[in-house]
Amino acid sequence: MTLSRLTALTITTLAMALSGCASMAVQSYTAPGQHLTKYRTYQWASVDALATGDPRLDNNPFFDGRVRAAIDRELAARRLEKGAGDSVDLVVHYHASVSQDIDVRGIDPEYKYCEEENCGPYVYEAGTLLVEFVNARNQQLVWRGWARLGLEGVIDSQRAMEATVDEAVMRILRRLPGNF
Amino acid sequence: MTRTPVLAVAIATLICTACATVTVSSYRDSTVDFASYRTFDWGPADALPTGDLRLDSDPYFQDRLQGAIERGLARRKLERSAPEAPADLLIHYHASVNRRLDANRVDHAYGYVVDVDSEIRSYEAGTIVLDIVDRRTNHVIWRGWAQGDMTELLEDEQKMAEWIERAVQDMLARLSPLY
Repeated sequence: MTLSRLTALTITTLAMALSGCASMAVQSYTAPGQHLTKYRTYQWASVDALATGDPRLDNNPFFDGRVRAAIDRELAARRLEKGAGDSVDLVVHYHASVSQDIDVRGIDPEYKYCEEENCGPYVYEAGTLLVEFVNARNQQLVWRGWARLGLEGVIDSQRAMEATVDEAVMRILRRLPGNF
Repeated sequence: MTRTPVLAVAIATLICTACATVTVSSYRDSTVDFASYRTFDWGPADALPTGDLRLDSDPYFQDRLQGAIERGLARRKLERSAPEAPADLLIHYHASVNRRLDANRVDHAYGYVVDVDSEIRSYEAGTIVLDIVDRRTNHVIWRGWAQGDMTELLEDEQKMAEWIERAVQDMLARLSPLY
């Protein structure tokens, strides 16, 4: 192995660890027949009782507070007002989950031949943050957006967690219809 | 260049949390003055399962863990509150064990993966989460955690005790700038 190859391997390994092998993938779904412009107020659903899959984030008030603050901020920028009681239009809910993914890029499954120099199975943490808007009156789903991303090194750093949450929420809610 | 594979594996090992004996981290409420707290007590017992029957309701594990936490807090001048006196802080912990996967990257100098399957191993990942709660406001002001490979520890009390002590003291060392 030459020095340049070692450098390439080191850089690739570091990059994979830092990026979690995956960039942030964002998607959304709007329920058929829904016109989001008619909704003007929202409130938070009760606290999500589902486990995240990572004990560091389960019942973690720092994570929960950051997600809620980021969503509140993005919705306020879209002139959606936070309210309370029976008069609100939407109920907002979020759920986060963490799981392990295996990246096997570059390996020929039949011959186990590695076309690239640094390919091989790589296990990394992947997270999904999902945000849902539900019609407060009929409890039907109005809109759902989610981001999926690599989390290596993110949860273990409060600053990285906060920055990642802010970016994920911004990119998820950016997919709301333009006039919302 | 025979040293390069060793170096590459060492680099991968260093940045692979699953391979490390103990990794610790923490979150804190930056608006709180930690120096104002002087006493602590244990919060309500954790009712959540650990994920491993060997640890659920294991008095040896609980005793070791509580003892390590109390020693670590005492080093930071935090005293257990008197029986009738309300404590400044409540301490809550949760331990969990999950089976996880790890992929040890090998030398790919020749561009071949000799045996893809052999690179993946599973292990018992243990996590201890410690929450420090302001009793008066009931807000978590600090959460720390320690994680490590518990595969060999679950069957060995002495190794488990040593791991708990190191995990807790490393975790509580993150309080040092605050106390």
